[in-house]
Amino acid sequence: MLKGKGIPIFITFLVGMIMIISFFIPHKPFGDIEKISLNWYSIIAGFTMLLGVDSLIGMHFRKLKRKDENWFFSLVLILGFTATVVVGIIETVRFGTAFDDKSYFTYIYNYFIVPLQSTMFSLLAFFIASAAYRAFRARNFDATLLLITAIIVMLGRVPLGEQISPYLPKFTEWIMQVPQMAAKRGIGLGISLGALGVSIRIILGIERSYLS
Amino acid sequence: MLKRTLLLIVFLILSISLFSENDSLIFLENQTPFEGFAITGKDIPNDGGGGIEIEWSFPDSLDNFFLTVLRKDEAGNNSIVATDLLVSSKQVRDVSSEEDPSRVKDGTKYYYTGILSKKMVDEDFLNMLISKENGYSKNGIYIFNNDTFYVTAETDAIISKASWFNLSRIPVVISLILISFVFLYYLNLAKSGKELYIRKINGLDAVEEAVGRSTEMGKPIMYILGIGYVTDIPTIAGLTILSRVSKKVAEYETKILVPSYDPVVMTTAQEVVKEAFTEAGRPDLYNKNDIMYITQDQFGYAAGVDGMMMREKPGAVFLQGLFFAESLILAETGHSIGAIQISGTTETAQLPFFVAACDYTLIGEEMMAASVYLQKEPMMLGSIAAEDLLKVFIMVLIIVGFVLSIFAYGFNIGIFKNLFDLLARALQV
Amino acid sequence: MAIATNFWIWIAALLTLAIYSFLYKDNPFYKFAEYLLVGISIGYGISVYWHNTIITKVYNPLVYDKNFLVLIPLLLGLLMFSRFFKNVSYLSRIPIAFVVGAGTGLSVPSSFEFLFKQVYATMPLKLDFGSLIIVVGVISTLVYFFFSLEHKGFVGRVSRVGITFIMVAFGAAFGYTIMARVSLFIGRIQFLLSDWLGIIK
Repeated sequence: MLKGKGIPIFITFLVGMIMIISFFIPHKPFGDIEKISLNWYSIIAGFTMLLGVDSLIGMHFRKLKRKDENWFFSLVLILGFTATVVVGIIETVRFGTAFDDKSYFTYIYNYFIVPLQSTMFSLLAFFIASAAYRAFRARNFDATLLLITAIIVMLGRVPLGEQISPYLPKFTEWIMQVPQMAAKRGIGLGISLGALGVSIRIILGIERSYLS
Repeated sequence: MLKRTLLLIVFLILSISLFSENDSLIFLENQTPFEGFAITGKDIPNDGGGGIEIEWSFPDSLDNFFLTVLRKDEAGNNSIVATDLLVSSKQVRDVSSEEDPSRVKDGTKYYYTGILSKKMVDEDFLNMLISKENGYSKNGIYIFNNDTFYVTAETDAIISKASWFNLSRIPVVISLILISFVFLYYLNLAKSGKELYIRKINGLDAVEEAVGRSTEMGKPIMYILGIGYVTDIPTIAGLTILSRVSKKVAEYETKILVPSYDPVVMTTAQEVVKEAFTEAGRPDLYNKNDIMYITQDQFGYAAGVDGMMMREKPGAVFLQGLFFAESLILAETGHSIGAIQISGTTETAQLPFFVAACDYTLIGEEMMAASVYLQKEPMMLGSIAAEDLLKVFIMVLIIVGFVLSIFAYGFNIGIFKNLFDLLARALQV
Repeated sequence: MAIATNFWIWIAALLTLAIYSFLYKDNPFYKFAEYLLVGISIGYGISVYWHNTIITKVYNPLVYDKNFLVLIPLLLGLLMFSRFFKNVSYLSRIPIAFVVGAGTGLSVPSSFEFLFKQVYATMPLKLDFGSLIIVVGVISTLVYFFFSLEHKGFVGRVSRVGITFIMVAFGAAFGYTIMARVSLFIGRIQFLLSDWLGIIK
């Protein structure tokens, strides 16, 4: 019986309905249900993380064993992972928590993770330029409209814009507050309706592709 | 004589010590700064308990004065609710919080007192008021070190309680019931075999072409679900589209790579792909390791997926789910390797980047409806038709609101003002 | 100022350059940085999970608060491990069904709340040209999202207006973000030139 889809679909239905009903009942235990369920999600995800690590590290172990083209980098990944976990354990023993200011674990965060993250993030400066360039070459009405608005808003937000015309920042403000806001709201209303549709299809078991 | 002099000296010393220990205090009982000087309190309605709201309404001339609120519980314990609130703020809430979960207990009687002052309240004075011996049972004017404090009478006993129903959400209940009927109506209509139409969605007709072309070139397909969790609807919508896409992938006997950000999403994606391959009659082609975990670090994920794209060179890239700043990093890299890209998200801030960098972009609700479009089952089409009917409701509501406001504020007609206010109030949840 | 002598700054600087090398093309330096970031971040993630989930959300409530409700997600989490064993792997559907149910269930009322708020925000509290444009924009955008009608004739024209609004909004969001992204890049260059090379202050 457990092997079929019946029980999981019933669980989804039941949990979904409880969540909906609890929106209207502030009294305990319903009032806290959103917080509790998000808490539970993070616990379930915490355990599932081991499946994730198994998937990632397993893949790179296989690459290493097969001496794949990029085996050296797989080794870097595995060593990076192992070193971080080991340092985390040692520093937890040393300071009581790995997140102490003086722990090497914090150093790993500050001098490996942070610069790598923020450099990846800053690549966007280049990517946004190339995307804008592409929009510039597109010869249709929509792309042109997008680009012109983008240029106006960009100029309206820098000091140069004020010098070109004092109306530019005001016009930018108007674009943000009126047409931008209108479309954003229209899209947002559509999204809420769409989300309602997705949720109802799943809760009622019409959509069940997430269960095999 | 000596005795008297000594006694006098002792008295003097005592009185000096009296002055240095106790600050000067003058108390005028029952005096008030103005008629009706009082604060009121009530249980916060529609909450889960553990909350009391204290309100006051003082003359505007006192707007820049400060109000400090004290509390006594039924056991006689005093505590400070809030100090030096601006009188103009009109209310303060005494609530239990994460740090102090039993601050306000349901069913316990609480009594509140307010202290009005021009200057910030003096700490010594406050300590004196809440000290167990003195209490603050007496209302009136206290002049402490030449500063004047007006102390209100205690409020009546106020008891906090939890509500079983949030009355302010009645409009939502009504709409929920109405909308359930709309959905049920269309689902029944679909069941009875009536054919329902769905308009063309750009990009979804290209799915077949994208998968086909990748297969011809001997390249895999990459499906990126973004950085959402399974509790996020866009991620769930992305998973339902993944199901349709992987069915095509199985039919074409090619490979699909799904690098994931969240382990639960990865696990669910594995289920989805496995099910789709089985439905397509090719469970043998399913490889669990093609749906792999990368890392739960936004830019680590972006770096990993970028690298994978450069090395695996997928012929088609799908970006369907919840995306934030990494959207353009992924989409531009996908563009640079010449893949056909079909993207979709509900994040309006990221949609412009997808539009600029991808061949096709599903905007918001289009993405939510995509799985229905790709597998036109009657029941699913019914739910889309229901969404559309709701859109009509919303449009009518907006137009009615606009017309009402023209009559109410353009022509200044009272009844329309009332109607407009009624509508606006119903919409506030 | 002179070039940095701090070992850690050098690491951060070299990793920064390794990532930037990707802009030229995929190369061993980028690969090194990429694999390292993935490896380290997942190691870091495990530690964060250990601290925030296992200790804070499971161990402490169970041992100190005697909150046995935590056993439910604990069991659901453990069911996920059934995936390691082929003959019971179907049990992992139960936690998946649970989280999908929670996600969709929570989204229903919150979608409603959002709908109400958006419609309320569209109510014109003052009459001017702007509020008329907003009403036209919201309605035409909604018409664009109409799925059960063919976009021809009148509906087609209105949805065309909707698309125009959408493109203006996208352009605005695009332009709004450009400078923020450029400033991120400036931040990294500043780090390289000042913290590492000591050329500028």
